[in-house]
Amino acid sequence: MFSSTGGDTGAGTREGIVIPAARGKPGADTDNHTFLVCRTVRSGQRFKYPGNVVVMGDVHPGGEIVASGHVIVMGTLRGVVHAGAEGDEKAVVMAFRLQPTQLRIAGYITRAPDDEGQNGTGEPEIARVQDEAVVIEKYQPGGEKRWLSRSMIQEEEEQNG
Amino acid sequence: MGEVIVITSGKGGVGKTTTTANLGTGLASLGKKVVLVDTDIGLRNLDVVMGLENRIVYDLLDVVEGRCRLKQALIKDKRLENLYLLPANQTRDKTAVSRQQMIDLMAQLREEYEFVLIDCPAGIEMGFKNAIAGAEKALVVTTPEVAAVRDADRIIGLLEAAEMEAPRLIINRLRPDMVRKGDMMDIEDMLEILAIDLIGVVPEDEYIVISTNRGEPAVLDRHSRAGQAYRNISRRLLGEEVPFLNWEAGSSFMARLRKLIGLG
Ligand SMILES: Nc1ncnc2c1ncn2[C@@H]1O[C@H](COP(=O)(O)OP(=O)(O)OP(=O)(O)O)[C@@H](O)[C@H]1O
Ligand SMILES: [Mg+2]
Repeated sequence: MFSSTGGDTGAGTREGIVIPAARGKPGADTDNHTFLVCRTVRSGQRFKYPGNVVVMGDVHPGGEIVASGHVIVMGTLRGVVHAGAEGDEKAVVMAFRLQPTQLRIAGYITRAPDDEGQNGTGEPEIARVQDEAVVIEKYQPGGEKRWLSRSMIQEEEEQNG
Repeated sequence: MGEVIVITSGKGGVGKTTTTANLGTGLASLGKKVVLVDTDIGLRNLDVVMGLENRIVYDLLDVVEGRCRLKQALIKDKRLENLYLLPANQTRDKTAVSRQQMIDLMAQLREEYEFVLIDCPAGIEMGFKNAIAGAEKALVVTTPEVAAVRDADRIIGLLEAAEMEAPRLIINRLRPDMVRKGDMMDIEDMLEILAIDLIGVVPEDEYIVISTNRGEPAVLDRHSRAGQAYRNISRRLLGEEVPFLNWEAGSSFMARLRKLIGLG
């Protein structure tokens, strides 16, 4: 499904802002590329990538991930994520603990309820756009393929021959 | 070769200067040769907190601009033999020194002192960048407030980006009574958010205000609870394993700590 993987970002940490360029063939569809962020994303740090982003760590309040594709946080998401930032409404956001300050998918925005409290179930959750709104549900491994874009499934099928 | 440690926070007024004065005095009273460097150019305070204001002749800028030798600008503490202060200039601003000048200065100081403690100004601009330039380690000070913790997180990110050793956290002005009532962030919350190691917790202590005004660091006072906390942190800086006091930690934190050290 992921056609390429960026390395960790040691090089680009100037000011904590990293805007890695998509790898791969020029002119290739960068949306299927995935960038791996192997670190905690702290307040004031922003990662922007034309493709999917996987964070192996937490995203703290004040931290921001912007991706044209999906965003997966292997940890707690407390900051801001914008998935499908170039308008892809099929993009999803997934986290082990999904407690974002604000979540954006394509043109849709949702934010944490003002009556703070420990929201979230403590279980992995997935956010996506459904009927013109961002909905958040428990993540069911392998249970749902709806959020995979058609092109990706086709690609997989081709690979499986 | 000494250790160069910067004391920083992001947010202003959380206790950087108080911490620098107390840890420096604490380390010196444990027999270490220590120099304190005030990098808060234009807003110097450390000299006042140490009670040494009236002895300033030359300052950090005079040294880096070559108007005096380093030795001439260093002020000897009134109480401890092996404690010195390099004061900041009060008339100029943070742009008056460069990163390279700071790196060179710290290299010079560490030749002669076992600990060089740098009092960092608030903010993330030039003054902060200069203060961390010549440091190899950092202590991040925060208070149990959401805004201070947020700024600490920002600072930790910047320290990581500068490829410094993982910083350690000092929580200042904790009020155990308020934490118990659920009116103040507890240690667990802060450690979970910041994800760095804790080196100590300093309680809110009105004696700090008295001692600051008198120019006598609380760490020298046997009866001050904040002083006790700073004595513990000083010893932890020397690598000693000093147990956390009960009030230093919430109950869940103590439970986890006991588990970690195999007592629970
Ligand atoms: N543990 C404490 N208990 C009570 N008062 C404290 C404590 N720590 C610091 N203070 C008080 O808080 C005020 C700010 O402390 P300090 O000057 O050390 O902060 P700072 O971080 O250096 O500030 P700045 O960012 O302006 O340099 C001082 O008046 C000090 O006396
Ligand atoms: Mg200060």
